[in-house]
Formats: sequence, structure tokens, C-alpha cells
Amino acid sequence: MAGVELLSDQGYRLDGRKASELRKVQARMGVFAQADGSAYIEQGNTKALAVVYGPHEVRGSRSRTMHDRAVINCQYSMATFSTAERKRRPHGDRKSSEMSLHLKQTFEAAVLTQLYPRSQIDIYVKILQSDGGNYSACVNAATLALVDAGIPMRDYVCACTAGFVEDTPLADLCHAEESGGGTTLALALLPRSRHIALVQMDARLHQDHLDMLMEAAAEACRGLSKVLDGVVRQHLQEVSVLTRD
Amino acid sequence: MIKTEKVLHLKSSRGHKVRVVREHYLREHVPCYSALCQAGCQNEGKVLSGDATHYVVPDAGVVRDFLEVFEFRELQGVVFTQTACQAAQHSRGRRHYNRLRSLLKDPRQDCILFANEFQQYSYQPREKGESQEKWQTRCVYHAAVWYYNHLAGMKPVVMITEDGEAIAEYSSLNGGVYVISTQEYLQSFWPDLQAAQELYSSISQALQERESEGTEKEYAEHLPAEILEAGIKSGRYIQGTLNVNKHKAQHEAFVRFEGTTNKNTELNSDVLICGVKHRNRAVHGDLVAVELLLRNEWKGRTIALTDGQGEERAGEESQSQPMPTGRVVGILQRNWRDYVVTFPPREEVQSQGRNSQRILVIPWDYRIPKIRISTQQAEALQDHRVIVRLDSWESTSLYPNGHCVRVLGKAGELETEIQTILVENCISVPSFSEAQLREMPVNSSEQPWQMEPSEVASRLDLRDTHLVFSIDPKGCEDVDDTLSVRVLPGGTRLELGVHIADVTHFVKEGSLTDLEARSRATTYYLADRRYDMLPSVLSADLCSLLGGVDRYAMSVLWELDMQSLAVCKVWYGRTLIRSSYQLHYELAQSLLNGEQAEVPELAHLDAGERDRKLAELLQALETLTRVARHLRAQRDKGGALELEGVEVRAQLDDSKNITALVPKQPLEVHETVAECMIYANHWVARKIQGTFPHQALLRHHPPPRQEFFNQLIDSAKARGFTVDIRSNKALADSLDRAVDPRDPEVNRLLRMMATQAMSNALYFSTGSCSEEQYYHYGLALDRYTHFTSPIRRYADIIVHRLLLTAIRAETEEEPSKALASNKELQELAQQINTKNRAAQQAQKQSTELFQCLYFKDKDPQKDERCVADAIVYAIRANGMLVFVPRYGLKGAVYLKNRDNLVINVKQDGSCDWQTGSLQRYPDRISSCTGSDTHTFNLFDHITVRISVEPSRCHTDSLCLELISNRPHQAPGPRTPPAGQGRAELVQEVVRLAEEASLQAEEVKGRRPKLSKEEREFRQSRGPNLYSLLQEISELALLDPSACQALETEAQVCATSA
Repeated sequence: MAGVELLSDQGYRLDGRKASELRKVQARMGVFAQADGSAYIEQGNTKALAVVYGPHEVRGSRSRTMHDRAVINCQYSMATFSTAERKRRPHGDRKSSEMSLHLKQTFEAAVLTQLYPRSQIDIYVKILQSDGGNYSACVNAATLALVDAGIPMRDYVCACTAGFVEDTPLADLCHAEESGGGTTLALALLPRSRHIALVQMDARLHQDHLDMLMEAAAEACRGLSKVLDGVVRQHLQEVSVLTRD
Repeated sequence: MIKTEKVLHLKSSRGHKVRVVREHYLREHVPCYSALCQAGCQNEGKVLSGDATHYVVPDAGVVRDFLEVFEFRELQGVVFTQTACQAAQHSRGRRHYNRLRSLLKDPRQDCILFANEFQQYSYQPREKGESQEKWQTRCVYHAAVWYYNHLAGMKPVVMITEDGEAIAEYSSLNGGVYVISTQEYLQSFWPDLQAAQELYSSISQALQERESEGTEKEYAEHLPAEILEAGIKSGRYIQGTLNVNKHKAQHEAFVRFEGTTNKNTELNSDVLICGVKHRNRAVHGDLVAVELLLRNEWKGRTIALTDGQGEERAGEESQSQPMPTGRVVGILQRNWRDYVVTFPPREEVQSQGRNSQRILVIPWDYRIPKIRISTQQAEALQDHRVIVRLDSWESTSLYPNGHCVRVLGKAGELETEIQTILVENCISVPSFSEAQLREMPVNSSEQPWQMEPSEVASRLDLRDTHLVFSIDPKGCEDVDDTLSVRVLPGGTRLELGVHIADVTHFVKEGSLTDLEARSRATTYYLADRRYDMLPSVLSADLCSLLGGVDRYAMSVLWELDMQSLAVCKVWYGRTLIRSSYQLHYELAQSLLNGEQAEVPELAHLDAGERDRKLAELLQALETLTRVARHLRAQRDKGGALELEGVEVRAQLDDSKNITALVPKQPLEVHETVAECMIYANHWVARKIQGTFPHQALLRHHPPPRQEFFNQLIDSAKARGFTVDIRSNKALADSLDRAVDPRDPEVNRLLRMMATQAMSNALYFSTGSCSEEQYYHYGLALDRYTHFTSPIRRYADIIVHRLLLTAIRAETEEEPSKALASNKELQELAQQINTKNRAAQQAQKQSTELFQCLYFKDKDPQKDERCVADAIVYAIRANGMLVFVPRYGLKGAVYLKNRDNLVINVKQDGSCDWQTGSLQRYPDRISSCTGSDTHTFNLFDHITVRISVEPSRCHTDSLCLELISNRPHQAPGPRTPPAGQGRAELVQEVVRLAEEASLQAEEVKGRRPKLSKEEREFRQSRGPNLYSLLQEISELALLDPSACQALETEAQVCATSA
């Protein structure tokens, strides 16, 4: 199999990380004032923006209304300038709708929707720059935006990818690693309860290796949750300092 | 960690140029892998030694072009930078990069990889407008500076580059870091290493030549990789390995498919590639993509025996059915190795014209095209054999370009020829390095080796309870198996024990000795010498289960029912033994027969004691024989092939030297020992397969393909026998029946053909085969492995380790440590299989070499020894193949010579050449001349004269000439028996070689010394009988090509040129 060597003999990955190291994560909450909640996250070179509206009355067709809980509406899109070659269609293609569906399922598992019967929560995420792990960046950004909007959740939802190369699980894949031909697993985790909100894997993997890979992804998610927690606390401190004056 | 970004310009899938931003993380702590490190780097694994005088950092360009120079083990302290490695990977491809990687992994090479681009302080971002080469050089330079500072200036660091500007720019910047050119470096730091300098200059010349190449196209361009890949997927092209026909290297080559991916079902045979244009620069062994030609262009294969030396006329009429024919459109993977070539003599050099620097050299292997190399040493090297590597083969060049690597010596000398055989079979057996020998335990008279108390405590002590003895050929020193048998208290059960030398105790996994043994995989036996897998302190002393000394062993103990001999209990484990008797076969047999025999171990005892001990030993031997008979009978029921017959052993001797050492009388005790070993192997296989269903190393022997038996069936029919090949049992039975009372050779030849028809037994990892495929056809066992000869086979060492882990997993609860995965094990098994094949090939070639040397100085016209009896065993279009039992050699006899004359047999049986024609039938061939007709049948005895046909560039070969159609009557009563002929032959050749070399000058050549030592050591020159039987049952004397139906014919055109 021709191609780049994803993991060198000395244990370095293409970008100089070791197998279990995450990319650098930076995040900010409350980037837009008009929305109820918003957040921006960078995971390495993957940059995502999430905006939350709601809970509010169900708009559009009334038939979607739920009596016992809120409806979650997700929309995922990628900026035309997010990839190396300009994208023709920012949203609405098959991949985007699938991603929207995944996001919806993830947050239905995490948000306490029964607190808001007959209402709707909108989550819009946009990938500004794509470099692997789009789904996880979206989940993490949306979590922060939901926190910013003050919508009660069971726990942070943290998502991360993990791949499998030469019998070693790699955490948080970048684009080059994702397209390198190996298996990629995306995991969304509620870190405190260790419940899994969503797990997705499209390629083949031997059953014996699955546990190892899941463990690596879960470990990465836990690492991420610490970072997100830090971001939230930092944000709260800033906000409370502002309001005190 | 610090995050930075790197901007790359890449090509997208659609071919546009795309700007890609990649992250790049830097860290402060990147291990330096130097033993001198003061900063507390986490250096795991291989570490650069501290005693090099300096460290050398090669530039990207140097790594790209002159990597081979660093393969000299003398060069110490080499720091490869990540920048240079990546550059080499990009510009030279995967093969080159793998070579670099294996260099880095090899613990014998003092070199490491420093990940300079991930080090915070040595990383240099590429500046705008900076060329890639400049940037790489700068990176490497800064890495060198960092390295110097990191080691606090303790070692001077030398950076070598081919870039003159860089030398000027950087050389004076920093104190301890020197920047010089490669040539200067080699000259000033390694003035003694002449070979490295020669290699350097030969590569750099080859590089210059390549630049100044012409533009005329000789071959079609290869297609790009993407097109090939798509074409193979869609079935338009066929992927396979190129196999050149040895006898018509210029014209014929075949491509064998890989796997069963081929959808085109009508193509069930190989694809023929006709001529060098269609072969399109592919070299024997390359993985190529082939496009089929149109059906009307298909050609047949030539089936006539040819001389291989440019005889083209015979081509037309003797072609077989047209077969798929194709042309090479691309090469997926080059499989170039080191080739041995011969320089042409001076006259030819000059006639080669204007460009005197470039020389066409002729490879030793017929299948390899001539190679063009540029060197200034052509004068000095004429008639020398030299190792050459291929560099490239441009479409503008008729021949590939290469460069010299190492000079082996003058062609025709024994030492050179032996080295040639080793190199051509990719066998590398340098003497054991000091570091490896340092790992070895010491056993000298001052410092005798002693067992460690901890080991004594943890092992089962059999020294006092068991009567352990070994049975081997006379004079054997590496005893790796011993036996014991006793009646257990109570009297209802027997205990049979097989004790094998515990090599794994001394050879720890991952140690230098282990790695060396792994890369050798087996001990190599050549006709006159031996290359050990393990250092001799182990193989001949500490591991060897000698009589009267305490030794570690791995044992298998069975408790058998006294009456039915059914297995009640099996125990595996580490033990301590002391062998009481070191018997040899003849002695053991005469004891069993009740004859008076002197047991050396008992000689010094008084009479009463001696009789008691003797009775005890005899009792054990008798019980052992009873058990072995029972085991054998059990296996026979399952259909084990009767290949242990002495006939078969002799039949194998055409390629093996063993005959000379096999006793003339087959003794039952041989079979007894062999049976116990097979039994031990079988039970160990069951154990490890049970514990590790996916990663146990077993050995299987796939059932042969029925069509390969056609020749056997037809030949047998000629003598009125039927051969039933439906199962191994049927085959064994029918071979037993096919005995011609008047001519014992017939049965021998039939068995030989049966052996040829079978495939080789192979090692494999259990995870990569389905359970049905574990079957061993020859031995009729469902599971089999190799356990009993760890001193000379690496596979046995692995099996020992597996068995130990299996035992440990059972007794202690702790999880067994990670074993090799199925994939690794399968790769290892492949490697061992390849090495075994190479070992056999080398052994065969060395025997042929000795045959030629033996006949070389005999005058075929006068010397009686050159005339011998031969038996016809196959018929070809223009001749027949014969077997000469006296020398155990096979060869072709032509009935039609180059002037198209055919043989004519006179009344008295003598022959001459006349005009006439040949008629070929399946079981006979007739030559019709004007006066009369003579027919040769299969299995006819004829008389041939053996002479040597010398060849300058290749091996000499033997040529058989028909002189009479009657069996040869040896004059005088003193004909040497077949068995001894070979030993005599080898000894005589060695003696002559020694004399010649002594006379010539008193050089302190290794040769005479070596061969004498070998003679005295003699350990496994004749491997013990068990191993011999093993080899027979492996049936692996053939090179695999002979098994392919297609190639059998070609193969059979043996002894050409």
C-alpha cells in the first residue's frame, strides 16, 4: 500500500504528535450577541462556529410539536472556503444532511428536552475550516453554545475521533490521517457518566481491536472535556466580572 | 508543545495544484539516542555508542544517493535526520526508504534517527522563496548544531553534504560542527576503509553517467502507477511476478499471477512474454503489470532441449500449443537484489568502443540481463567476480545501469565461487560480531560454565531419576535431541521422554544473537563447509546435550499405557538432564541385535557393574523400539508416505551431499529415533495450536496437485505399473508395489518423480490458514511443527518460546506477555521459508560446483571415472534426461547435435553422429539414420561420458555424452560404491584446491584453514539421521519453479551451457 507513513518508527505522527496526543484546542463562548448562545472552537486547523436559538415555540409545521419534550433542530454546513478546493455547495448535500442527523441524535441524548415540552431548540453549526474531525468539532462547539444559551444538559458532550494504524490507536485525527486509508471512529461521550451519545465507524476493523480503539477515543474525549470545562469557567469568570461592575 | 503551521503545495486528485496548510507541533524533548546524553533524554531502544570519535550527520542529498556507503558496519555514530529521511523517501521511493529503515532497526549498525523537525530548537521553518534543497540543507545543519550543543560539545559533529555552496556557507559558522563533502569525509576519517571509498566513487560515477544519457528510445515508457492500478482492478492488465526462463533468458519469460484475483477464467496458466522488447526492462523477480496481446499473436513455448547459447533456429518446429502471450506495460515493484557479475577480459573491453569508462558486465545468473557499469578499475577487475547493484533502467538505454559494491575475487577460484553462491542466494553470513559473542556465556577451562541455582530450583530435575541417552551419527557434536524411557512405579505405565536442547535459555528474545539467528534462519550446509546459525560456544558446547554433563533441556514426557501404548498424560516443561550415553546408530543397532559391542561410557567399569548397566540400557532401547514401531504403524494407517526408505534417501543425493554419510544398511534404530522426534513435534504442535489458535507457528505440507503426477503415471505405465494418486495412502501403497525385481533403480526413479511432483512443506502461522490446511501430507499428521532442532533452525526457537508461554499461561495466572501477532509471525514464517529455500539452493549449487571441480582435471577420453552408467527417466524432443546413480547427478543427453546430426548406434553398442531424424513418443525416442533405427525406452540403462563444459561468467556445467546403449560395465572389481563416491569427491576437490593455493604462494587465505577446521569439527556435516529424514519428508529439494507444470519442462532442459 503506497502512501504516507502515518506513524513513524519512533512513534511520531505526521504533524509531530504522539499517538495519544490531541491537537491544540482553543475555544470562545458568546461570540454573537444576537443569538441565545454561540461558541467558536478550533481543534488544530479545524474551525467551527455554533449558534443556538431557543428554546422557543415550534415554528413551521405544528405537527412536529412534541407534548412531552422539546424538538431539537440541527443544521450543519461547511463554508465554501473551508476546504483546500473550493466547495460548490455549502449545505444540503448528502453528507451534510447525514451530519445534521447525527448531531440531532447526539444532542437529543444530552439535552434535558423534557423540561421544555412543546418547544424547539435550533442548533446551527458551520465549519469554517476543515482539517479532519468535523463532526467532533461541531459537537464540541454546539455543547459550548448550548451552555452559553443556558440550556440544561446532562453533561458536556465531548466528541473526538480515533483511528487505527499499525496496531496503534491514534487520537484526534487530522485530515491527512483520515484520508490515509485507515479506520476512523467518531465517538461522542458524556464524560462524567461515561455514557456514549453516539459512536460511528464506517470502515472495517477487527473485533479484537474495537475495545482498544474505543478506549483511546474515550480517553481523548475525557481530555477534551477538561479543556471545555476550563473554557466555560473562564467565560463565566469574565462574564461575572463584567456584570459586577 | 508549540503549534506552528506548514504550508504545502500538493496535487489534488484532479490534478490541480492545491495549497494545503498542515499543523506542525514542536516539542522541547525529542530523544537524541546518544549514550552520552546529559539532558536525560528518554532514549529507548537503540542508542548511539559513546565511543565513536565523532558523530556524522549526512545531508538529504547524501542520504538519497549514497545510503549504501552507510551500510558499512565500520562507520560509527551516524545520525540520520528526519529531514534527510523524508527527502530520501520522496525522491527515491519506498524501497529505498525501507532500506534506510532496516538500517536504523539493525542493532549491528551504529546509527539512529533524530526527529529534528519536531524539536523546538532545531526546527527551521522554510523561508519564502527558498528552494527545497537549500531548506533541507539548512535543516540538517541546524540539527547538527543542536546535536553538538545538546551533548555539551563532548563530540565533534561532522555534517557531510554534496553541496559545495553549503560547505562554503556553513563550515566556519560554528566551532564543533564541521561541514565537509562526502569524499573528503571518507578520505580523512576512514582512510582504511578502502571499500567504502570505492563504493562512493562507483556510485558517483554512475550518477554522472545517468545525467549524460542519450535520448534515443529503446523501450516503450512504463505507464503511470494510477493507470496501472485502475487497469489491474478492471482486469485489463494482469499483475504477476516475472520469471525468466533460465535456458532462454533472451527470449522467454513467464508471468505468474498473484492470488486468484484474476477474473479472466480462461487464463489458467502463466503468461508468456516473448523477447526483450515486450519484457520492457523488467528483471527477473519484479512484480509487473502485463497486457495480453491479441490471440493471433500468441506463441507457444519451446520444448526442445537447448544449449542456451544463442541457438535460435530450432525455435520454429519445436513449439508447443500457443499460450497466452503478453507484454509488460509497467513495473509495480522492483525486486532487485545484489547480483554477482564477471568483468569481461581486456580485449572485449576495448572492442566495446569509444566509451571506455562504461563496461557491460555479465551476471552470473542467466536470467539477469547484462549490466552497464562505469568504473575506472575495469583493467584490474577483469575476470573477477564482483557484486553489483542496479540503479536504474531508463527507456533510452538497452541495458540497466549499475554500480560496483564489492569485489569477490578471481573467477574460478573455489573461495570466489562459494561466495558467489552465497550472494546469489541472498545469504549473508558474516562472522559473529564481538557484541554478539559478548552476550554468550563463557565456558573455558579456567572459567567453567555452571548452572545457576535459580534455574536448578525452577526446573524439573531428571538427572538422577531418568536414564537419558542420545543416538546420533558418529562424531556428531551438536546433539540437540536425547531420549529416555522407563517404566513408572506401579508397572502399568511407561514414560517416554524426548529432551531437546534449551536454546531459548541462552538466546533471549531480541538479543543480538537472536536477531542474527533470525536473519540467518537456519544453519547453512555447503558441500565442504558449514555456516552456523548460533555461535559455536552454544551450538557445539553449552546447548549440545553431550554425554556426562549437566545441561538445560526442554522436555516432552508422555505417560503411555503399558499394554495398548495409548497416551494417558503429556507433560511439557523445562528440565535438567545429564545424558548417560552418547550412542551412535551402528552401536545402538548392534546392541539391539544382541551383538557384542563396546560402549565407551562403560569401558572403565568393572565387569559386574558393566553388565548391569548394559542390561539397563538394552532394556530401554528395546522398549523404545517397541513404542516407535507402534507409532509408525499408527501413522501408516493414516497414509504416511514411505519416503524414509533408503532408496529415497539415495535419490535425493543428486542435490545433496548426504549420501556419503548415510550408512549403507538402513537400520531400524534410525526409524526409531525419527519416529520419536516426529511424535514430539506433533504433540508440541497440538499444544501450541491449542493455546494460541491464531498465532502458533506450524508446518504444513499441502497435498500435491494431481496434474503434477502425470509424468510419474506415464513413466510407471511404461513399465506396466499403475500409480494411484488419489490419497497419500494410495500413493504410498502403489509405490511400494512398483518394484521391478530385475532393476531396483526403477523404483528409486519412480519415487524420485513422486517427490518432484510434490510441493514443499512450509512454515505458517495458524491465524492465516483455515484448519483443514494444517494437514501434513507426507507425514499424514493433522498438525506438525518443528521443535527438535533449535540449534540449527530458527523456527524451532520460536516454537520453544511459544511452548514456554503456553506452559506459563497455564500454571501461573498472570497474563502471558504479548506474543508476535499473526501478521508478524506469518511474515517471519515466510522469511524462514525463503531462507530455507535459499539454503537448499546454495547447497545444491555448491554440490554442483564440486562435481564440476571433480571432473575438471580428468580427461574424459581416458579417465575411467568419467564414464558411468545412466538411466533414462524422461524423454524430450531432441534428447532424453538421465540419472547417473554413481555420482547422483541428473542431466540431459542429446540425440541430435548442433549440426542436426542424430545419434547412430552401431552393432556393438557404440555410437556416432549421422544424418537422420528423431521420432518422439511418450515413453521412447527413436533415432532413424540411413541404415537402421534405434529406440531408447524409459528406464533403459546406457553409458555416458561426463565432461565439463567451462564457462567464464557462469558456473561450469557438466555435459553428458552418449557413448553406448548398453549398461556400463565397470572395468576391474574396485568400483567405489555409490555412497562413498561423493565423500571422496568432495575431499579430493578440497585437497586439490588446498595444494594449488599452497603452491601458488603462501597467502594466508582463509580457504585451506577453513576447510581443515570444518573437517575436524564435522559436527553436522552429516546432519544426524533424524534431520536427514526430516529433509526428505520436507521434500523440499526442488526449487519451487520446478513444481509449476509449465516450468517443469523448462527445468528439465537442465545442464545447458
